[in-house]
Amino acid sequence: MADTKRKSGDNHSNRKKGKKQKTSSTQRDTNRKRRGPRLPSQLRKQLDRLNPGGGGDGSSSGSDVDERIESDEGEVYVGNDVYEYEEGVPEEESQKNRRFDRVENLEYEMPDEFEDENLSSDDDNEGDNAKGVSSGDEVEEDDDGKHSRMLQGITGMPGEAFEGKKKKSNTTLVTEAYAESEYNPTSDVLDGHGRISVEDLLDPLRNKSGYSKLKKRVHQMERKSNHTQAPLHKAERERLERKAAYEQSNKDSVKWVPLIKRNREAGTLIFDNDVELGFSTVGAIASEFEPRTEFEKKIASLVHDDKVMDAHQKDGSRLLELNQVSAEDERDRQNRIAKLRSLLFRHEMKSKHIKKIKSKTFHRLLKKDRLKAASSEYEIDPEAVKELARKHEYERAKERMTLRHKTNSMWAKRIKERGLNAQDEGTRAAIAEQQHIHARLTRKMNSMKDTSSSEESSDEDESDEDSPGEQDRTSRLLDEAKQKTLKVLNEEDEVPNSGLLSLPFMVRGMKKRNEVAAEEAKLALEDYESLSKQLEGSSRGESPKVGPSSGRMVFNAAGKQQAPRSSKTKSDDRTKADGLYDASDSENDLQTEDNNEDGDIVRNDSQQDINIDPSLLHEVLNGHQDGLFKSFDDIVKDPGPKTTHEVSIFASGTWKKVKTGNDQVKGGNNDASKKKSPVAVEPVSEKQDLQETGKEFSEDSDSESEGQMVDGILFSGGPKASSYELPSQAELIHQAFAADNVEDNFEKHKQEILNEENPEPEKPVLLPGWGQWTNVQQKKGLPSWMVKEHDAAKKKREEALKKRKDAQLKHVIISEKLDKRAEKLYTRTLPFPYSSKEVFEQSIRMPIGPEFNPATVVGALNRPEV
Amino acid sequence: MKVKVISRSTDEFTRERSQDLQRVFRNFDPSIRTQEKATEYVRALNAAKLEKIFARPFIGAMDGHIDAVSCMAKNPNHLKGIFSGSMDGDIRLWDIATRRTVCKFPGHQGAVKGLAASTDGRILVSCGTDSIVRLWNVPSSSTMESNDSSEKSVQPLEEYVWKNAFWAVDHQWDGDRFATAGAGVQIWNHNKSAPEKTFEWGTDTVISVRFNPGEPNILATTASDRSIVLYDLRMSSEITKLIMRTRNNSIAWNPMEPINFTAANEDCNCYSYDARKLNEAKCVHKDHVSAVMDIDYSPTGREFVTGSYDRTVRIFPYNGGHSREIYHTKRMQRVFCVKFSCDATYVISGSDDTNLRLWKAKASEQLGVLLPREQKRHDYNEAVKNRYKHLPEVKRIVRHRHLPKPIFKAAALRRTMIEAERRKEERRKVHSAPGSITTKPLRKRRIIKVEE
Repeated sequence: MADTKRKSGDNHSNRKKGKKQKTSSTQRDTNRKRRGPRLPSQLRKQLDRLNPGGGGDGSSSGSDVDERIESDEGEVYVGNDVYEYEEGVPEEESQKNRRFDRVENLEYEMPDEFEDENLSSDDDNEGDNAKGVSSGDEVEEDDDGKHSRMLQGITGMPGEAFEGKKKKSNTTLVTEAYAESEYNPTSDVLDGHGRISVEDLLDPLRNKSGYSKLKKRVHQMERKSNHTQAPLHKAERERLERKAAYEQSNKDSVKWVPLIKRNREAGTLIFDNDVELGFSTVGAIASEFEPRTEFEKKIASLVHDDKVMDAHQKDGSRLLELNQVSAEDERDRQNRIAKLRSLLFRHEMKSKHIKKIKSKTFHRLLKKDRLKAASSEYEIDPEAVKELARKHEYERAKERMTLRHKTNSMWAKRIKERGLNAQDEGTRAAIAEQQHIHARLTRKMNSMKDTSSSEESSDEDESDEDSPGEQDRTSRLLDEAKQKTLKVLNEEDEVPNSGLLSLPFMVRGMKKRNEVAAEEAKLALEDYESLSKQLEGSSRGESPKVGPSSGRMVFNAAGKQQAPRSSKTKSDDRTKADGLYDASDSENDLQTEDNNEDGDIVRNDSQQDINIDPSLLHEVLNGHQDGLFKSFDDIVKDPGPKTTHEVSIFASGTWKKVKTGNDQVKGGNNDASKKKSPVAVEPVSEKQDLQETGKEFSEDSDSESEGQMVDGILFSGGPKASSYELPSQAELIHQAFAADNVEDNFEKHKQEILNEENPEPEKPVLLPGWGQWTNVQQKKGLPSWMVKEHDAAKKKREEALKKRKDAQLKHVIISEKLDKRAEKLYTRTLPFPYSSKEVFEQSIRMPIGPEFNPATVVGALNRPEV
Repeated sequence: MKVKVISRSTDEFTRERSQDLQRVFRNFDPSIRTQEKATEYVRALNAAKLEKIFARPFIGAMDGHIDAVSCMAKNPNHLKGIFSGSMDGDIRLWDIATRRTVCKFPGHQGAVKGLAASTDGRILVSCGTDSIVRLWNVPSSSTMESNDSSEKSVQPLEEYVWKNAFWAVDHQWDGDRFATAGAGVQIWNHNKSAPEKTFEWGTDTVISVRFNPGEPNILATTASDRSIVLYDLRMSSEITKLIMRTRNNSIAWNPMEPINFTAANEDCNCYSYDARKLNEAKCVHKDHVSAVMDIDYSPTGREFVTGSYDRTVRIFPYNGGHSREIYHTKRMQRVFCVKFSCDATYVISGSDDTNLRLWKAKASEQLGVLLPREQKRHDYNEAVKNRYKHLPEVKRIVRHRHLPKPIFKAAALRRTMIEAERRKEERRKVHSAPGSITTKPLRKRRIIKVEE
């Protein structure tokens, strides 16, 4: 760039000389180029020394003026003129010429920029000058002329740029006053034509060694060297710079874009997330460490000892010196270590030995010791106490599960068989110990259970309290149930010989009932047996203890009152049981299992069942005290599934009122039965009624649906559809929808809406004596203003109807009614960020309040933007 | 038979303290709450009304200068300190909490035109029409608090004399350079008495300069030749120049988005630009009725505050065309400078009437420490209001502001004029050959050209 500018400057200076000059100037340029700043001063001096008079050396210092003038044509001539032959010149020249032609064209393309060029070229000159000076060539030469020539030679600028000698044109013949020397340069030298080429300078070295090498290098350099462009003018340059800078900064700012995007899209900007977390590296943390405890201080004093620090900082060699240990110390240390090792070894050997000992007594004693030590420890430490408690609890649970310490292991059994007295003392002690453990653990368990379910234990018999384990209890329960059922079965044989039950039909009914009950009892027994087998399987065939005979769990409440009861009540009891069994059977087998496992729950369940029963309410209303007889009646009447209900009712009813019921039974049986018989029927009839009504409903609906079906058939089928003619599509449709006059319906509907939105004016009503005297009213009819008003209203309505948007549209209803209240809740236009109505509505669909959202979400929903 | 029993563990239902709330269980099934939307709408309405009721933005005036306040600077390192310079050469440091002068910096002969504090808050740079840049040591906060009864005065640390009067100064973020604006733009160092670098592009006076807080080496200036120029100190050259139809009085970079800046224009509008695409404004913020004199971004980057020659201060959202808030008092005259406080809670305005005024950034915000429940309540109210802000009633209440009559009238007049212009343009368009007249969008209309 810079070069082009310089060149254009040259051009400017040479323009006045004509075209010839131009070529020479370019030549000069090439020469200058060739010489450039590389011109070695020594060579130059040599050259001068060689050609002091300038004789024939045209190329070097331009000796002959005339020749010089002629030699404007170029260096071809110069090359020919020299007395010494040059080889490389022609090729280079050709190359150069070709290269520089382009530059000339460029110069002509922009002739306007003279002023600036001069300025800038000046700058360049300076720059180049500086270069020249820096190379340190012309230090010795202080002559002005030489200086200018130097400048010329280096910069390629005409002399004009430096001094006012430009006028020395080539056309005028100039005679030199002095002989040519380095102090008296010829005019053409001043003009810049006495160029010295590198070749010239090299010439004298020809015969010296290394000449060819040097030449080659020069050649290469020439080839490679690129000419630089002339600099652009300042404004342009700055613009380009700015452009580049702008692009650069834009490129830099791209890194912000994703960040900005993220920030903008974020629902909430949080500004305190770059909290200083302190030191992140171990080194940083360590550097901040300050000794606090005594130990730390001690260590610190050792570590930060001046000597150590100093040594460490130097090279560490002194550390070794500091680290010296005396021989005694070392020996001590070794002794200590040896002692420790031997101790360790002995301990190991000891423990091995102990492990090998097979005596159980020894181990037991050992264990005891250990426990003692541990217990003493526990007293101190609350954590350990807790741990101990947990351990004990676990042991207890394990004992409950396994019953390991009960005397039913093989060993214990064998000892039992042989008799305790036959055993030695140790075995006896072991057995005693085991029993003690078992007793302790189970005792603990019982006490726990008591606290957990007090009401249960109150219900339970004393036998219950005896039972050691849960499984025992359940098995015992099963046994009880079995016994109870067996008892009931046996009791069936006892036939009441007096009272109502002794009547023959009653007896028959009873028998039937009993049979059913017996069957069920057998089933239940089977169930019990299977269950108990299962249990026994789990408890390793533990022999069940049979408790004293007492009321079954289920009937405990009743059982307690059994003493004053007659045989009738017993049978009641039985029926109750049956009822319960029935109920349980009817529900599912699972419940029987429940039944067996926990009597209480069964009872509750049955009570709940009863409560659910709808007929119960009825019964209760009629009076509880009559329950007994009702149930009897029912039993007598139909022993089918219905009895279950009644019996259960009875059961529930009598839980509390059994005594009074019994009294009444004892009192007047007959009356009561007579009284109650109709009452007992009632619920059934009611039920039937209900069923009937239900049926009726269903029938009604059925009939209706049928009717509709018929209608449908009528619509769809039609008489003509089945005919042979092929009707048109429109006809078909018309026929198909002949019956459901859609259009009429729609019209009616539209009319309704119209009436609603533009209501028809009320007809003027004649109120006698209102507005006029009655006689006048009678004569004239309605007052004219009323009629007028009515007409006006009518007209108004018609107009309004005509104005409606759907006035002309037959099949459309466009409602013009605006709900003013609802209007407040709608926006007129879609708000800005939303692209569609759905999105907007979606955005406000879910409420965000704390009442409508879980507390975990509310915060997120209501978080502010910043 | 499955038995359903209500089971509640005591652990979950016992309160640890008597103040604890009882645990409440709710069924969030929307089908059993059909009125929730209506409920929330009413709440939004109430929240909007409450906001109006509680809107008390003006906290107090800081009286002390004896001439118009021309410039202010906030201390990036000290939340409650703010510097102000006035037309008579007085510089003061205020304590916002007590609203009193803490310290004075006497020395300037003419008007103080620019103030800037370094990022560490230790050094204050001031410049003015007396062509002197002064560097001051800011007294530390502890000394400020210890003797707050008496006003201290401080001697300048350095005085750098330059050739021409200054119009503005700004300090680089996290560096020790600052830039002054006057005949050109000079980049100074704390330690050098002559500028490190001068920029001149064009011959007109540069009237404001602002460093980019995100990219500390980029700065923007506005000049009286209606231009906005961006500079990059890394390349140490101007980057680009934008020429608008009217001049920009001030400029502010978005602290959260280092490529975006907003210029306060003489034509009553503010223009937000993306530094990479200057041929079109990102957003035009209209509402003022007279020249916008100063602009400052909130540290959150979501809002900025402007002070105008029409005696009002407005707060705009960074991407909204209209202001969300307008502050004015009877006594406040032309506003020359505004600043957002560093915690985005307050706005400070300095005006022709020699006072600094302290405003809340959110007019109805409850100041002081809030209980968590209060905070939740406020958040909820805000959220609900935000949700239903498009509904006409809520919108009306939220948008309604009482304006001084001159501003109301001027706004109406302005609207009329704009409307008339629009109509005229429309008609011209209709009556000329199709395609011969094109309407430029407002975002481009005020831009003349972008120079490189």
